Amino acid sequence: MSVLFMLIQVVVLAMLAPLVAGVIKNTKGKMQSRKGPGYFQVYYDLRKFFKKDNVFSPTVSWIFKAAPYIYFATALGAAALAPTLLFDRGLHYDSIFVLIYMLGLGRFFLALASLDAGSTFGGMGGSREMFINVLVEPVMMLTLLTVALRANGTVMSQMAGAAASSGISLSAILAAIAFLILTVAETGRIPVDNPDTHLELTMVHEGMVLEYCGRSVGLIFWGSAIKQLVTIILMVNFFLPWNPAGILPPVVWLILKVLVIAVVLAGIETGTNKMRLFRLPGLLIATGCLSLLAIIAM
Amino acid sequence: MIEKIYLVMLLLFTAGILMPILTNSSPKVTNILAHGLSVLGCLAIVACSVEVFIAGGMTFTYAMGLPVGPLIIRIDNLAAFFLLALGAVGTAASIYALGYSREYYKQRLGLMAALYNCFILSMALVLTVSHVAYFLIAWELMTVVSFFLVNHEYEKTANTRAAFKYILMTTLGTVFITTALLILSMTVHSLDFQMFKGASLTNTMRNIVFFCALIGFGTKAGVIPLHIWLPEAHPAAPSHVSALMSGIMIKTAIYGLCRFYLEFLGVGPAWWGEVVLFLAIISSVLGVLYALMQNDLKRLLAYSSVENIGIILLGIGAGMVFMSNNQPVLAGLAFIAGLYHVFNHAVFKSLLFLGAGSVLYSTHTKNIEDLGGLIKKMPYTAVFFLTGAAAISALPILNGFVSEWLTYQSLFYLPQAVTGVIPRLGSVILIGLLGLTGALAANCFVKAFGVTFLAKPRSKHAELAQEVPGTMLTGMGLLSLMCLALGVWPQWMLNLLQAVVSQSAGLEVSSLFNNHWYAAAFNIPQANGIIAMPVVVGMLVVGLIAAVLVYNFNGKPKNVEGETWTCGIIPNARMEYTATGFAQPVRRAYKTVLRTKDNVTTDKSLNPYHGVKMKMTVRISYLINSWLYQPVKKGILFLVNRVKPLQSGNLQHYIGYVLLVTVVILILGVRW
Repeated sequence: MSVLFMLIQVVVLAMLAPLVAGVIKNTKGKMQSRKGPGYFQVYYDLRKFFKKDNVFSPTVSWIFKAAPYIYFATALGAAALAPTLLFDRGLHYDSIFVLIYMLGLGRFFLALASLDAGSTFGGMGGSREMFINVLVEPVMMLTLLTVALRANGTVMSQMAGAAASSGISLSAILAAIAFLILTVAETGRIPVDNPDTHLELTMVHEGMVLEYCGRSVGLIFWGSAIKQLVTIILMVNFFLPWNPAGILPPVVWLILKVLVIAVVLAGIETGTNKMRLFRLPGLLIATGCLSLLAIIAM
Repeated sequence: MIEKIYLVMLLLFTAGILMPILTNSSPKVTNILAHGLSVLGCLAIVACSVEVFIAGGMTFTYAMGLPVGPLIIRIDNLAAFFLLALGAVGTAASIYALGYSREYYKQRLGLMAALYNCFILSMALVLTVSHVAYFLIAWELMTVVSFFLVNHEYEKTANTRAAFKYILMTTLGTVFITTALLILSMTVHSLDFQMFKGASLTNTMRNIVFFCALIGFGTKAGVIPLHIWLPEAHPAAPSHVSALMSGIMIKTAIYGLCRFYLEFLGVGPAWWGEVVLFLAIISSVLGVLYALMQNDLKRLLAYSSVENIGIILLGIGAGMVFMSNNQPVLAGLAFIAGLYHVFNHAVFKSLLFLGAGSVLYSTHTKNIEDLGGLIKKMPYTAVFFLTGAAAISALPILNGFVSEWLTYQSLFYLPQAVTGVIPRLGSVILIGLLGLTGALAANCFVKAFGVTFLAKPRSKHAELAQEVPGTMLTGMGLLSLMCLALGVWPQWMLNLLQAVVSQSAGLEVSSLFNNHWYAAAFNIPQANGIIAMPVVVGMLVVGLIAAVLVYNFNGKPKNVEGETWTCGIIPNARMEYTATGFAQPVRRAYKTVLRTKDNVTTDKSLNPYHGVKMKMTVRISYLINSWLYQPVKKGILFLVNRVKPLQSGNLQHYIGYVLLVTVVILILGVRW
């Protein structure tokens, strides 16, 4: 039974992920006094991508061709593990470390693919992506620990439950701020990365996938959208888990909160500038200190 | 039965040692004979270990006619576990050696093959001998034989230097091991390891034994700050020997530590475990940071061994802390995490060293800045190296992930076991630092695989590379399969490890695991944990199928070839990202630790309008060297220079010394 629910969750999250990405784009446009692309623009883009043929460089090997599949598969795996709390898993296989390392698998192959075409932009993107990951991962572990220590375990559905049952405290607020910064970094947004750029000095994730086109890029963009939605769900269910009881069913709360985070992300992107790559360590050290304070304040 | 298999094993290796030296046959025959015998010997080791797990441990003695008493061989589950790793990795490395040794047909092949057999034999002895004197003999045999193997290509001065550094450091280590063993044997008045269990030592003595074992075995294991020999000696040896040195030899030190801390010393104070954890985390973070900076493929792998020894010791240190805080179940989990990583690291690091050996075999260079594009010339080697790289980066579904997951789990419960704010905070930070290690390892191996195997070849050597012979591929293929099997199906190994640690007092594992076919589940008092690798595999398979369906939703796409876009010029290998460039962000962010010095020089003699020629050199300096070893070296040189005037070269002076000494002895003799 739980397998069926899991499949439904994956399909639903995968189908809704482009919408969340569209909402962010649209809100961002409005905040910047533009009309902004429509809410469904990402779907149209993906449909276009999946109709196209591929151009592969003669330099590339099978790694380059396989990486989009693996990236997409790991994103779906992350969607299967995401703690939506909408069904009982029965089996507690959804360890937080599995999720983190699952996403790491996709990143590993995409970074390899970035080196495969032999262009400088790709290598630069891959190198920076792995560097940002070096900065993010330890802080991510610390921030998630604030929830895991409350739950006394690293199973995500239990962590989300423990987060919901503990009230608002200083520790929870500090951890929420820390994880918001991490969400920005994980989803490749300003001030860490710029998702809309193709300027070699500023792009990280975009630079890494620069050599892709057609259906491969469709898989990568869709995968990134799913990964973004999963990160936002983690943010919502671990760090903003409180629902006023009885008014609305949990599903509605989840959707509302995901949309709020999407708007907040758009706001952050509008309100800040892209940071220089070598100022990121400072930002993430500060984030790490926040989560350490959150652990001390527990 | 075990005794018979053991004897067969001894005979096979003895034959393997004697054959290549005594017979004067052609290199080809020597190669097949010697390495064939070592394959058989390693299989006998595996059989021996399997037999112990089935029929239980055994002790037997051989009268040697030596004054120290008979040779006692004891194979219990702990020894059998390490023997299994030795046998499995040894088999693969020996099969590989059948092909790889062709490189050495004109370079003292017979000697190398004999030493190789002797090396495996000495490791098997270290793991099974249960007697102080013979253990030390086996231990020193292992060191000396590997010293000769490191120094095998003595034509290169760097190798000789590496070999001497190695023998110096490990001999110092042996002094400490000997001290620890002698203290124990003097206390219980026996040289048999079995008597050491629960030796009644005073607290001071116990602490001395603890530190002696830590320093002695830590030197061999390559724990920072005692690691300095490792990154030089491992790359210098022939690749199949490097694989065994990094894969198994440094693990014999972990075996020694387990013997001491689990069996001889028993449960100790919590700060023992904290000391181990401290060294472990320093080794893992610094080890992987230095690994990322290397451009010599084998040196990179050697530094990564330092990192992995750190991860193993994280498990063991956490286990010791749990033991002293009376948490036997958690201690069992932590020790199992550490030992699982022992086996995993043995498998994937040997695989990576064999892969590096294959690259060296067909390109004759270890510098990854000269490589590239090998995935097309050596497709199988590339797949095997990629398996190892993914496994060591702890990516699911390979074996590295399982032990990393177990280590995370055991560290996660550490804050509950320790008391006081600072230890608690420290144990939280440990998890963050383990995350940092994992991310750096992924970065390091993206660089190692990506620059070596992908894109266009960066030199003639890489362009002319060819796939290596079948025997070498078989060796690597075996290890790749083990990586996959231990990752997808960890239950059997966990059951085995449960049997290994169940004999130790202070650990309670009988009810730890509750395994199903689809998951390994453990029950600890605090919470339940589950690692369902088959479920993860299932998710990824379903995900891949979905990706393929989505991809082909609108029919099969047409694939067109188009050159990589480089702003309108024809791309060449010099436009590719370099290994040094790939590591640059981390190098810059960690420049306080790495002490980097970038030096750019421009060739002024060329006409600047035709493009300038620039050269960039990057130097990193090693903190440990400048803080610890340089002062010690200076101190020794200072003392030596003070003593030097005594040796004047003047015969009269020397006669004077003899006279003086005689007079002093006479005076002393009269007084007593």
